[in-house]
Amino acid sequence: MIYSWKKIVRNGLPLLTICILIEVFGGQILQINQDKLLLFPILLISVPVINSVGGNIGSILGARLASGLHLGEIELTINDKNMQKNFFISLIIGLLTYLILSIIIYYISYFGNIKMNVNILSFVSIILGTGILLMVMISIISVLTAFLSFKKGLDPDDTVAPIVTTIGDTFGILFLFLLIGVVGI
Amino acid sequence: MRIKEILKQSLPLLITCGFGAIIAGNTLGAMVGLFKDIPGLIVVIPAVIALRGNISTALGSRLGSAYHLGIINAENMWNDDIKQNIIGSLFLSFSMSFIIGVIAYVTSLFFNVQPNPLLLILIVVVAGGISGLILTSLTIIIIYLVFKKGFDPDNITGPALATFGDIITMICIFQSALFFGGIF
Repeated sequence: MIYSWKKIVRNGLPLLTICILIEVFGGQILQINQDKLLLFPILLISVPVINSVGGNIGSILGARLASGLHLGEIELTINDKNMQKNFFISLIIGLLTYLILSIIIYYISYFGNIKMNVNILSFVSIILGTGILLMVMISIISVLTAFLSFKKGLDPDDTVAPIVTTIGDTFGILFLFLLIGVVGI
Repeated sequence: MRIKEILKQSLPLLITCGFGAIIAGNTLGAMVGLFKDIPGLIVVIPAVIALRGNISTALGSRLGSAYHLGIINAENMWNDDIKQNIIGSLFLSFSMSFIIGVIAYVTSLFFNVQPNPLLLILIVVVAGGISGLILTSLTIIIIYLVFKKGFDPDNITGPALATFGDIITMICIFQSALFFGGIF
């Protein structure tokens, strides 16, 4: 037997506690803006989507960078062409995914008789704007985490995913309210 | 790899995961009344979803590694190693859910919101614990099926758990809040 439950708990506890503290901070931003969310339930529906897409794309980028670093195809420099290519591809994939999903959410809400109070142009602009800010931020964090981990001898496969999903969740919520203010609904 | 290829491989999976998140989001949309009635409830949502994702994907990837190391396989699934993994995941689910409830209560006080601490902690621990039980079982089932088919568990468990995890967790919070909100 190589696994022991006590060891699993001991290894998991510190990282999970930090993750929870950051996530509760995101939750407080939701609570402060609760009235707005209850007035526009379509925005509430979008929160898990914004966070899930951000986390997934950040994790995919992290995994691709990790493989590239392990294989020696990517070098630890900001000027690495391969890294830059992966960076921009993840931005493009992110934007496409946010665009497609925001249109889907709008029509699901429309046919599901959910109170909208917002037209499709404003809604897609809010989600796409949030997505652009979030993708840029997540991609930068993903590259930095992967590079720093690799430099320190840690496996980026273990570090990038939990870090980008946690930071991405909180900033996703923050950027959403920023964009709601900018687009003005 | 060319950009077209990467798009073709990842976009369908991302959109599928997005649909899972839309279902989770709709559950959130159905909870509007509960958020009004139970102060502090909305605070725990991102933390509980993230906790579930972190615990079950870690379990999935540990079991994936155990498979590659030859510690477990389809014929020899139910051994001490897998039991220790299950106990560890469940213990983390219950204890971390409790901590989420406490932190959400304490931080709410700073923002002039007064949640009922007992109600909030009960909702989170029951929702986190039950979704932990369901997702741990689901992970074991997925791992077993993947072994039998001879696939690499590392490619399957992550996306599958991410998609089902959000939905199951949201439904558990919804039901738990509905149940305890009605009692208190």
